[in-house]
Amino acid sequence: MTVTDNTTNRLDSLGASGDGPSFAILDEESKREIRRALLQAVAVPGYQVPFGSREMPVARGWGSGGLQVTLAIVGPDDTVKIIDQGDDEGVNAVNLRRLVVSSTGIPETTEAREASIIQSRHRIPEDELTATQTLVLQVPVPEPLRGIERDVRELARMHAEADYSRMWVSLYEDKVRNGVITQSTGYPCLVNGRYVVATTPIPRWDIPRLHMSQFLTLFGAGREKRVYAIPPHTIVEPLTFDDVPFEVERIEGAACRLCGSTDSFLVDSSGEVDSWACSDTAWCRARRSQG
Amino acid sequence: MGYAAARGGLTAIKNAENLVRSLRDEHPSPPVGHDQLTGRLRLLVDKVMGEAGLWDPQLASRALVEAEGDHVEATHLLRAHRSTLPRLAVSIAVHVDDARVLRRVVPAYREPGGNQILGRSTDYSARMLSARRNLPAVDIDRRSPGATTGDLRDGMRRMISVLRSLDLLVDRRRQDDPEPFDITATPARPPAPRSARLATMARAETGALINQWYRNILGPDGYLHEVTLGEVRHSEIEVNVLHPLSGKSTTVGYVRITEVEAIEDLDGDDEDRERFDAGFGACLGHNERKAIAMANLDIACHRDAGRTSLEQSILMTTDGLDSAGFLEHLKLPHYVTFRSMVDRKFAVREARLTRTDLAPRGVGTDAR
Amino acid sequence: MGLQRHRMVQGQEVAGMRGPSPIPTPDPVLTVNGLGKIYGRDDAGTIDRTGSDAGSARDPITGAIVAAWDVNFEVAAGEAIGIVGESGSGKSTVLRCIAGDLEATSGDVRLSTHMEGRSNVLLADPATRRRMRIDQLSVVYQDPSEGLALSVTAGGNIADPLTAAGVRSFAKIRERASELLSRTEVPLNRMDDIVRNFSGGMRQRVQIARALANKPRILLLDEPTTGLDASVAAGVLDLIRGLLEELDLAAVVVSHDFSVIEMLTNRCIVMHHGRVVESALTDQLLEDPHHPYSQRLVSAARA
Repeated sequence: MTVTDNTTNRLDSLGASGDGPSFAILDEESKREIRRALLQAVAVPGYQVPFGSREMPVARGWGSGGLQVTLAIVGPDDTVKIIDQGDDEGVNAVNLRRLVVSSTGIPETTEAREASIIQSRHRIPEDELTATQTLVLQVPVPEPLRGIERDVRELARMHAEADYSRMWVSLYEDKVRNGVITQSTGYPCLVNGRYVVATTPIPRWDIPRLHMSQFLTLFGAGREKRVYAIPPHTIVEPLTFDDVPFEVERIEGAACRLCGSTDSFLVDSSGEVDSWACSDTAWCRARRSQG
Repeated sequence: MGYAAARGGLTAIKNAENLVRSLRDEHPSPPVGHDQLTGRLRLLVDKVMGEAGLWDPQLASRALVEAEGDHVEATHLLRAHRSTLPRLAVSIAVHVDDARVLRRVVPAYREPGGNQILGRSTDYSARMLSARRNLPAVDIDRRSPGATTGDLRDGMRRMISVLRSLDLLVDRRRQDDPEPFDITATPARPPAPRSARLATMARAETGALINQWYRNILGPDGYLHEVTLGEVRHSEIEVNVLHPLSGKSTTVGYVRITEVEAIEDLDGDDEDRERFDAGFGACLGHNERKAIAMANLDIACHRDAGRTSLEQSILMTTDGLDSAGFLEHLKLPHYVTFRSMVDRKFAVREARLTRTDLAPRGVGTDAR
Repeated sequence: MGLQRHRMVQGQEVAGMRGPSPIPTPDPVLTVNGLGKIYGRDDAGTIDRTGSDAGSARDPITGAIVAAWDVNFEVAAGEAIGIVGESGSGKSTVLRCIAGDLEATSGDVRLSTHMEGRSNVLLADPATRRRMRIDQLSVVYQDPSEGLALSVTAGGNIADPLTAAGVRSFAKIRERASELLSRTEVPLNRMDDIVRNFSGGMRQRVQIARALANKPRILLLDEPTTGLDASVAAGVLDLIRGLLEELDLAAVVVSHDFSVIEMLTNRCIVMHHGRVVESALTDQLLEDPHHPYSQRLVSAARA
């Protein structure tokens, strides 16, 4: 991550705004404010930091939080990859990439390994990310406890006191009623032994890769005006009982119809028989080209 | 436009944009100029500026044209535009008494201090579509109040000042919320200062705020008093900033605002039964419905004092961009999350067949 | 009576002191001193203008309600103290101030389980007070919906305090919940039913099971059988008496019903308009009440 160095002269930046859109859409003051919130988020892993979420050229709920995070941290030396459902060509990914690239002039890539910033909705790339990379996840609902409590004052208290027993009760009830824990995506995780977070919704498949990762993950929730972070080398534990193993998505005998993969997250591309395909399209393509 | 499995995006997006642009901009009718909108669709432009929290009639008109009349979309365009601009100055607080009054209604007294001004209003007009041919000649007395400027505010005493002088108003002027809470810099969540609630309501989507009011009148989850309105005013007010060089207060422009005072009859056991309280509402532009709903919700929220979820509803559910954006995000691809849900359906099914960890139960077991 | 016998074994002879002052208890688990709760605006004269002698808890001048004032008592392990009075006498207020459901206006409450009794828990922050409720002090309410989540199963209601105390094994939660439900005589085949579908008596049994989940030292019972059918109430009372004997708990029982107080407690205090008017051994009070209000209560109960 390279932080923009365009903050030398306030008057310069003010003057620049009169001539047209500034670098990375947002004005420098706004970007600085978002970066301050991000620093706080990194310092207190899993804590939802309020920030003055700006209205973006995309609607609330369409990645406005992830976009603000990306624009706040992007610099001229960055290379960006943007995916939606694992797909670089997803219609919303295309749109967000167009905005980031056109407002910054930085290069784009579909190769996860080449990107310094990867903005994503609902997936973590299959390639293992490294310490020089930042993953930005778009978050529709940042509050992991909303299913059990609606009052935001009470929610704030529960997080402050690490009072998560009702969350455990809901997992217990789920297991008793259904025989399994039915929470699918956005599985609640305890970060650094302290805060429970909503994991965007990424599928369960991706959860283990947040644990003790090499890379920094930043979560941006634009509509709810919160950012949070999982720094590298942080313990991330999906909430589950000691004797009820956490399960990831598996389909017996399924393989990608394109690359034959059985060890990536597969999506059911048409709902018909044997229509499984890798959700991470760039990874799938690379695998095919390697033969 | 087909776009297979929500892919192949860029061309489809560009084609969609071109379609919107060409069918809008190349429509055979004459283009709509911004003076037409501000002149003929004044209330629509005002509503957009109010919900955007940005006073610029020209930009708002342009936004409405680009949004093909969708006021939420136009609001979005204005707010997103604001995000690109630096904050150059903060205006100096002005007293609403210094506004030039264009319209004033005082339902609480028959003969309030100063004039009542019906002004530009259809409140008492018959709601009949006018058949153009039968229109009577318009006969405006241009000297009548509302069409003129001048010293209309002479002798106008605000109803809360009248009540205060009669010792009929609870005094809750306070020192702990001196600077208005800036909702564009800090998100407001309960418990929030009053200025945060007022700012949120001033920018709220008009329909959402009216609904919030009405569901507290008639809905299942609230009880809100019908207030007596002390003042409904539409006025023009100066915007002043400190001059960066001279350091003196300088007028940089004018905005129109609608402001409302709502007198509340206190009837709670723990309330002062000898006095009234008052709620306040104000928003950019001429939008009386919104300002009235706001004033009533302001006092309702104060009296509620956190007992119900009213404050949370006001702060977190009335923004038009938040609600509309989140609603429409359901159109985005969701096949990864849906795939994960399908996985759990099968997991539950399997668990029902093989369940050994619990005693068998009558309900929900598979017939097989 | 069982509790009496228990105390004889411990050899703790009670002084049988009469009047509103506390009876000293060796090694108290719960100590309450000068507890008070006032609603509304009071002034320097409010206390004098309210109470049993004044005939009202409401201050005629300021309108303040002195729900409880100057309440003192101690409870040792294996002992139960009763708080008796009519509804509105302030007895539930006292219990709720100790539990932390209400903020007391004044007073000093110590638990031997909290900093070895060196700190007034009324001054502790709300988070600390909520943590005490996990494994030090439990409450059984008259209305089960206050102590239970009705939309959650019986087992899930017990899982709540267990997980709050850090239990993370599903099997252990099931095991402990079964154990507690057996002990409180809830049929085990109802463990996975939601509590809303339970009868009143069964809900109280689940509430008691939940209250005991983490083996607290202190149990506060607020009208635990009020509103139940007589036969059901008798069963729940038997259960509570058995548990108090068995678990060496320090218990406070709030009730308007002398038969409950008589069955469960060995000492009790009588409250009237927010004040303690008498403090005595339960059987002595029933035989020979001193304060006129106590006399009225006892004769009404005996009628």
